[in-house]
Parts: sequence; C-alpha cells; structure tokens
Amino acid sequence: MELILALLQQMSVYLVIAYLFSKTPLFKPLVGVSVRFPHKLVIYLVFSGFCIMGTYFGLQLQDAIANTRAIGAVLGGLLGGPVVGFLVGLTGGLHRYSLGGFTDLACAISTTAEGLLAGLVHFHMVRKGQVERLLSPGVAFVTAFVAELMQMAIILLVAKPVGQAWALVQVIAPPMLLANAGGAALFMNMVRDQKAMYEKYSSAFSTKALQIAERITSILAQGFNERTTARIARIVYEATEVGAVAITDREKLLAFIGIGEDHHLPGTRIASAQTLRAIDSNEVIFLDGIEEPYQCSLSQDCKLGSTLVIPLQGDNEVIGTIKLYEPKKKLFRNINRTLGNGIASLLSSQILSSRYEQQKNLLVQAELKLVQAQINPHFLFNALNTISAIIRRRPEQARDLLLHLSHFFRKNLKRTGDVSTLAEELDHVRSYLKIEMARFEDRLAVDVDIDENLYNLRLPTFTLQPIIENAIKHGISTLFENGRVCVSARTTDAGVELCVEDNAGNYRPDANGDGLGMGIVDKRIKNLYGERFGVSMECQPEAWTRVKVSLPKQGMTP
Amino acid sequence: MIQAIIVDDERYAREELEALLAQDGDIRVTACCANAIEALKEINSRHPDVVFLDIQMPQISGMELIGMLDPDAMPRIVFVTAYDEYAVKAFEDNAFDYLLKPIERPRLNKTLERLKRDCAPQPVARLAAPQLTQIPCYRHNRIRLVRAEEIEYAYSELSGVHVATADETAHTHLPLKVLEQKAGLLRCHRQYLIRPEVIHEIQLLEQGLAEIHTRSGQVVPVSRRYLKALKDRFGFR
Repeated sequence: MELILALLQQMSVYLVIAYLFSKTPLFKPLVGVSVRFPHKLVIYLVFSGFCIMGTYFGLQLQDAIANTRAIGAVLGGLLGGPVVGFLVGLTGGLHRYSLGGFTDLACAISTTAEGLLAGLVHFHMVRKGQVERLLSPGVAFVTAFVAELMQMAIILLVAKPVGQAWALVQVIAPPMLLANAGGAALFMNMVRDQKAMYEKYSSAFSTKALQIAERITSILAQGFNERTTARIARIVYEATEVGAVAITDREKLLAFIGIGEDHHLPGTRIASAQTLRAIDSNEVIFLDGIEEPYQCSLSQDCKLGSTLVIPLQGDNEVIGTIKLYEPKKKLFRNINRTLGNGIASLLSSQILSSRYEQQKNLLVQAELKLVQAQINPHFLFNALNTISAIIRRRPEQARDLLLHLSHFFRKNLKRTGDVSTLAEELDHVRSYLKIEMARFEDRLAVDVDIDENLYNLRLPTFTLQPIIENAIKHGISTLFENGRVCVSARTTDAGVELCVEDNAGNYRPDANGDGLGMGIVDKRIKNLYGERFGVSMECQPEAWTRVKVSLPKQGMTP
Repeated sequence: MIQAIIVDDERYAREELEALLAQDGDIRVTACCANAIEALKEINSRHPDVVFLDIQMPQISGMELIGMLDPDAMPRIVFVTAYDEYAVKAFEDNAFDYLLKPIERPRLNKTLERLKRDCAPQPVARLAAPQLTQIPCYRHNRIRLVRAEEIEYAYSELSGVHVATADETAHTHLPLKVLEQKAGLLRCHRQYLIRPEVIHEIQLLEQGLAEIHTRSGQVVPVSRRYLKALKDRFGFR
C-alpha cells in the first residue's frame, strides 16, 4: 500500500511536468494524430524523453525500479503509430538497460514491446477509421494496463533468478499497473484538452475574422472616406477589444475610436513618425510597448503605449494605414496582431475593387455622354439644311420640323435619369424620325408596331434612339431608294424583346465608329439586368440588318 | 458663264443649293444628280466647269466618285458636307473649296468669286482612295456595282467602256485610264485591259501579236506594243 502511494506521488510530479510541457508551443504538433514525418519525429523525441523521465522518477527496490516508464512508450505508440511506438520503447528500454539490475534485460524488452503494442492499437484504430478514439483516456488506460500486464509476464519469463523475479512482481505489479494506466489516461486527457482548446481558439478567431470581413465589405462599398472609415474603425475596435483603432489616408487621420479620442481628432494631419514611415516604406510597423515603447506624438498624457501600423495597399501605392493601439498597462495580444494584418489586407482589396467599380461606372457614363454628343452634329446640320430648303416653299412644314427638332433636343438634355419607359423612348424617337423622314423623303419609311401593353416597360434611357439612328445612318442612307425601318416588340419566355430591322443589310461588325453606341447600350443593359440580357445583331448582307434588345419582364413594373 | 453640276442624295439639299446658285447670274446649273452613278454619267457627258459634291452618299461616296473621274478631264470640285471633321481638315490642309450645310450666303459668294477668277481644277484626286473596290456599271438599264476584283478584263469600243467578269459584261462610265490605274488591271492592247491573275495562257501569234486565254475561257487580244511589257511582267525575255 505504501508503495502504491509512493509511486502515485512520483507519477503526480511526472504529470505536473507533462502539464507544464503541454503549455509550450512544442506540444502543438502532438495534439493532432498526424502521419507526417516531422510530427512523428517530434512525437518520438518528446515521448522518448518522457519514457526516460519515467525511469528516473521510479523507486529503487529489490535491485529493480518501480516506475512510470510505460506512460511515455504507450502515448508515443498511440499518437505516433507502430514504428514510433517501437522506437520510443526501444530508446526507453536501452536507457533502462544501461542502468543495470537483474531485470535490466527484461525491462528493455518489455518497454519496447509496450511501445509496439500501443503502436498496433494506433494502427488498428486508424484502419477502422476511429482516429478520434485514439485520444480517449479510456483507450490509453486499457492499453497501458494491458502493456503493464505484459511487462510483468516478460519479467517472470526473462529475469533470473525466477524466485527473485516472482517476489518482485508480487510487490510492484499493483502499484505499476495502477500508476501507469492512470498516468497514461490523465496524460491523454491533457492532450485532448489542449487539442480542444486550440480548436476553440482557432474557430473563435476565424469566426471573428469572418464577421469583421462581412461587416466591413458592405460599408466599404459606399467609398473610403471619413464616414465609412469611422464605422469600420468601430467594428474593428469592438471585435479586437484593443485600446484604440485609427484609420488614416496618406495625409490625415480619417477615423479614431477608443482611448485618446479626445486628442486624436479625425481630419488632422498625420503626426506620428511611425505612420509616415509605414506609408513611405510600405511596411508593417509594430511597437510592442516593452522593448520598443510607443509614445503618442500629440500628448504626453496619452495612455496608449503600444501600436501596430499596417499600410493599406492601393493600385501601386500605399493609400493609407490602419492602426491598432493598446494602453501602457496592457500587453499587445498576438492574436490582434494577426487579426490586424488580415483586416488590413481585406481593406486593401476592398478599396481596390470598389475603386474599380467606380471607375467602370464613370466610364460608362462618360461614354454615354460621348455618344449623345456624337450623334448630334451630323443629324443637327443635316436637319437644319433640310429645314432651310423647305422654308422657301412650305414655311408651315418647316416650322413644324423646327418644333420637332427643338422637342428632340430638349428631351435629349432633360433625360438625365437612368431608366425610362418604352413610351418615353418612343416619344423621343418619334421627333427624331419626323426630321429624318423629311430629309430622306420617300427613301425612308418607318413602321412602329408595338403593343400598348408594353408602353410601361422600363429600359435604360437612350436604348432605342441610338439603334434606330444606326439603322438610318449606316443602313437606309446607303440605299438609293425604298428604305424601310421596322420597330417591333414581343414578349418572350425570358422577358421582352425589342427589334429594329432595316432593309439595307449593311451592318459590318468591324466598321469603325458605329460599334460605340451599340456597345454602350448593351453594356448598360447588362449592368442593370445581368449578362442574360442585352443587344444582339443579325445581318443578311444586302437584305436586312436586325438589332434585337432583350430586356427582363420585371422591368415592366411601373 | 460657268457650267455647274450639283451632286447630293437629298432632294432638299439639291434644291437649296440650286436656289442659292440661281441668284448668281454667272452660274448655270446644268444637272442635279441624286447619286454618284448619275453624277459620273453627267460629268462625263456634260464636262462641267465645277461640281458641287456632297461627300456622304449611298453606295459610292463623293470621295470615291472623284477617284472614278478621268484625271485629265477633272472639273473643279467644291465639296459640300453637313459635318465631317476629318474631311474638312483635309480640305483646309489642301486649300480645297468646301461648303458647310446649311450653306451661308456670304460663304457661298466667296467660293463663287474664287471660281470666277480661276476655274482650273485643283488636285483633289489625292483625297480619293488609291484603289477602287466597286465599279458602277449599267446592264440592261439597271445600275450594278461590280466588285473590282471580279473584273477579268475591260475594253473600249465606239459605244463606250465595258467591263467583263467571268460570266457577264456591263457598260461603265469609267474611262480605261482610271480602271488601269485603280482597279488592278493591266494594259494589253490600246483598247483592252486584263487582270493578270486570271491569265491562263498567252498564245503567241504571227507578226508579234498574241492572244490571252483567261481561266474562264475568254479570249483577249494583245497588241505588239504591249506584248513586251506583258512578257516582262511575267519574267519572259
């Protein structure tokens, strides 16, 4: 009984060491059941160490050692597999052999056999797909118990003289069975706890990072300015629980939340040398507050004592920084350092993509303006020439045409909205056609065949006019006589299809100049309604050109 | 009296210019044409002093029309356009006459004064494309635009110039000289042009004459004078 208590006492010290060890980074590779080589090497080294330690923590008696060596061998085998288990056992066994005594050979053999046994358990579990059970303290307990029984048997078989061996086994069997099985179970429990902690830690980290990412993305879509950065800084501040968060552009502070808000005022120029350095050199700057203290450049009384400054990447240059601070009395946590870097790269890519979006929109707007400006001179001067000729003979008709012309231009200027109804588009086109029909006389006829039910269809402003203008400019005007343009609309499965057909068949995809207007009409529709919709063209040379505009049905809601 | 022809595809534009010109006693408008093909015919038959030429016209533009005129009998050209930045720049760079629609009276007067001083043609041909892609022709009283590369040979006779493709011949108002320079045809006879690519064989006859057999089986005469040039072209000595 005394021996049991003594050995359990020794085992406790052994486990305290194991516990302390489990808190070091070296322990990290052990928590996963891994098959990769570097991990196996770590497992071998660590548990060989524990194996040898188990021998030293043993109790000398009857020229032998009652010990907890089996714990190392069994855990090494369970976590590392047969080869690692065998090697751990062999190492521990050879060490034991070097210490001598009448059981030296028996102990060396049995420890190696124990490691191998645990390794076989590992092999068996992996084969059965029960990897999780390898970390179960119960399995460790049973494995160690069986391993110890085996050791006792080996001592009886190998150690000489047999009488002395039998006497020894009678004394050490109960304490060793109990201490090793219990110790292995407790050790395994520690491994499992540590693993659970790592998992919880990393899942909490990922959740936090994802939450921040999601919230920031929607805000940044509204631009990178004082208002949006204030909200982003707030989110980062709440998620990381640091002392303060700041965001700057290249010149000034955009947002500041947390300790020191009173003197770190948004809108003021950047004062801190670290920030300027981060912007200039495009590198992350970290002042941990211990080896490199941070001192606020604005106020001597500022409580902030450590900072992380991360540059935000724009196209080719740094466009600003994000800074995390901790007060002097608090340590800068590593997790916040990692998180800060992640947030900065997220912000950078978001800023880039929202800039790109903005530029794309500007481009479409600019191109549209260009088209509006482009269609006018040709049309305007020809129209004026036609009217000036008609004035001589039929002043009333000329007056009529002037009114149509002014109507058309007034509409052109007024129509600033993005979307209008089909009725409005047709009205706009009608004035245009009145003038062109006067100009071309009997060379141009126009059929408009559109059901009134579709008049409320919504479509991007200036969809129809450029297409009809193209049909006249590049189609009808190339015909000697009998030009005809048909404008029609029909509902389809996907939505509504507008069709503009001329009987010239003169469309050439590569003809320079005329692609621009169509390209923009197509781009705007796709931007508004998606890739499924847009403008398509068919052409039968010298017979007809058909331009089809597909639009969604939901555009019909008034 | 200055003889003028107006070429514009829009009736009101022709009428307007005609009305403006009518106010000047020294100008007489002898024809108004609605397209380049009519214009080619009228210019070749009436030999006007000046042509008021619209640039944008169906099928054959004003610029193309210039390329089809006989360079030795070129009238003076006054370009008329509503809006064409590039063309206007070219006119200004070359100091050619041009008018912008709607035509302003004072501007027109300036042009007319210049015309009265000097009716000599300007070298406008340099504005035209160096090669013609389509040749306006008549066949059975219908206008046809024949693609230049389809023409196998061209010839002139009393009734005028004709072009022959693999399966038909048509009458054209373009002189042989223009076709030779701008349609990729080679002179093989005083009255014949041939497209070198369609020559199947050249049969040599007596007295230094020859006959060309085309791939489509047509026969074109070769005169003594041009046989040597033809042989040189294909590397025979």
